[in-house]
Amino acid sequence: MITRLPIGQIIVITITSILLSLILNVIRPDGIPLLAKELAVAEEIEYDSAIEPRILAITLDQALELYQKGTIFVDAREPEYYQEGHIRGALNFPFFLELVFKLDSLQGKNAPLVLYCSGDECGSSEDLAYELQDEGFSNLLVFRGGWTAWDSSGHPTEP
Amino acid sequence: MINFSQRSVIALLCRVILGIVLIYASIDKIVHPAEFAKAIGNYNVLPFGLENLLGIVLPVLELLVGICLVLGIMIDGSAIIAGGMMVVFIIAISQALFRGIDINCGCFKVTVENGGHQVGIRRIIEDFIYLGMALMVLSRGEKKWELYPKS
Repeated sequence: MITRLPIGQIIVITITSILLSLILNVIRPDGIPLLAKELAVAEEIEYDSAIEPRILAITLDQALELYQKGTIFVDAREPEYYQEGHIRGALNFPFFLELVFKLDSLQGKNAPLVLYCSGDECGSSEDLAYELQDEGFSNLLVFRGGWTAWDSSGHPTEP
Repeated sequence: MINFSQRSVIALLCRVILGIVLIYASIDKIVHPAEFAKAIGNYNVLPFGLENLLGIVLPVLELLVGICLVLGIMIDGSAIIAGGMMVVFIIAISQALFRGIDINCGCFKVTVENGGHQVGIRRIIEDFIYLGMALMVLSRGEKKWELYPKS
């Protein structure tokens, strides 16, 4: 059993990794920013086709406003959770391409689209937003509070 | 009771297996840094967007520690870092399970489409096994089959 903490070795390995990884991140074309940016919160929602593709976060009030205007909501959670309960009228497709075709045929790629998952702490709605952006959808709104906020404030749900 | 040289052989096996696991786990993360950073972000444990920094550094640390373990370079330091990583992974996955957030593990493959798994109890058990391996390496008997430092 080792009797002394090999601090020198730990430092050498850690520092080498940090330097190597940062250098790699700078030289590779798909390097990422050192700090992740939070999604910007939408100040106002554009209903016409957006000029440039964007993904914005929206609040419960904004989500409700969009809902009342008939905007399509997409439930980004796994189908099991969707079946247990979801925002009334929200879509959920286990297969991504099915979702893409459905959305495209319903309202095209530039109409606003609200995505949500279980609450503030899930990432699947944001992940889905980036995937949809890659498919050409341009007006993506991530509803942060998600299912939890919606359900607890008594807005329409089903089943 | 296992004797001294058997213990050395077991420690060598643990070292090589743990090293290969770490190298394997690092590859998909190094290839997809953005996706891995997002997977870390989904755990919701890091403030200030630090998930990107961790997403950049952690895979390379895993790779380097894995290579050191397989080749026998700075084994004590590598094993301690590997063990420490396992403790962090166990805590991160446990808190995700405990809070009931259903997220992609980001353990071996960073995206579900690519064959990755959701967080689950299985990953925690595996990480405990790897932690045990790291402890076996640290408690190895004689220091042989090691490139650096020679004792």
